[in-house]
Amino acid sequence: MPVRDGSEQDLIMLLKAQDDQAFHEAVSTYTPGMLAVARFYLDPSTAEEVVQDCWVTVVDAIGKFEGRSGLKTWLHRIVANRCKNKLRSGKREVATDFSESLEPELAERFNATGRWDVPPRLQFHESADTLMENGALSDCLDKHLSALPETQRSALILYEAHQHKSEDVCNILDVSASNLRVLLHRARQKIFLMVETFQETGEC
Amino acid sequence: MLMCRDLAVIASDYIDGELTGRQNLSVKMHLMMCKACRTFIGNLRASTELMQAHSSGHPNEDLLRRIDQQVAEALRTRKSRSGDQE
Ligand SMILES: [Zn+2]
Repeated sequence: MPVRDGSEQDLIMLLKAQDDQAFHEAVSTYTPGMLAVARFYLDPSTAEEVVQDCWVTVVDAIGKFEGRSGLKTWLHRIVANRCKNKLRSGKREVATDFSESLEPELAERFNATGRWDVPPRLQFHESADTLMENGALSDCLDKHLSALPETQRSALILYEAHQHKSEDVCNILDVSASNLRVLLHRARQKIFLMVETFQETGEC
Repeated sequence: MLMCRDLAVIASDYIDGELTGRQNLSVKMHLMMCKACRTFIGNLRASTELMQAHSSGHPNEDLLRRIDQQVAEALRTRKSRSGDQE
């Protein structure tokens, strides 16, 4: 049964009815975000394992889904809870210094009086869509995204690419609202610095 | 007075509309006078939009295929289980 034009409600109905095609659709739609959540807690290969396990759980659990939150948020919470359980026996790495909201590389571009010493040199004139048509830039963005600390990457992916509300991201990742602001800001500055270098030199 | 560095610290909050009215006003005043910060805010906003346009997360096809198979199997098991009960 095709669900291409179906709304989330239709998709949920089909999932509850154990429809194969609906699950296929849901897996390809929601796995990227679930993986981003898992990577916040775990190394890449364990994160993939957890997301796989979660989908198997979802086959049984979807019948109990009441729709109080969106489907995406519900799935992300399942992943986050499973990761937290897994971590109870292990360790957790936190990479971001929440007390510093400027990237060092940007911070050193101001002088002692707080004015720009090395101001932004040129304007990113093209629109985001035009920029994305540049395959080299897109590859470069991928490279820099994967180099971000997991915390920053997950926050960025959930907030920007998956358009979660801040409170959902805080809930999913278990960070405070003010720490989420730092995570986002730090990650955006890194992307800004990357695009600036790319536009000036043509190199990643 | 708000300096360029101060503005850089709260730039994302400005872009996302998370500042208080007074902070927002002082950013706007600063931006009127400071071209470098206008460029900075513009570029940071462009970077943010770039992120939104970029299809991210990108799990590999292989993982999606594995999940599809596992889910299909779980569905089969579940259906045969409920079949047994009837
Ligand atoms: Zn300025």
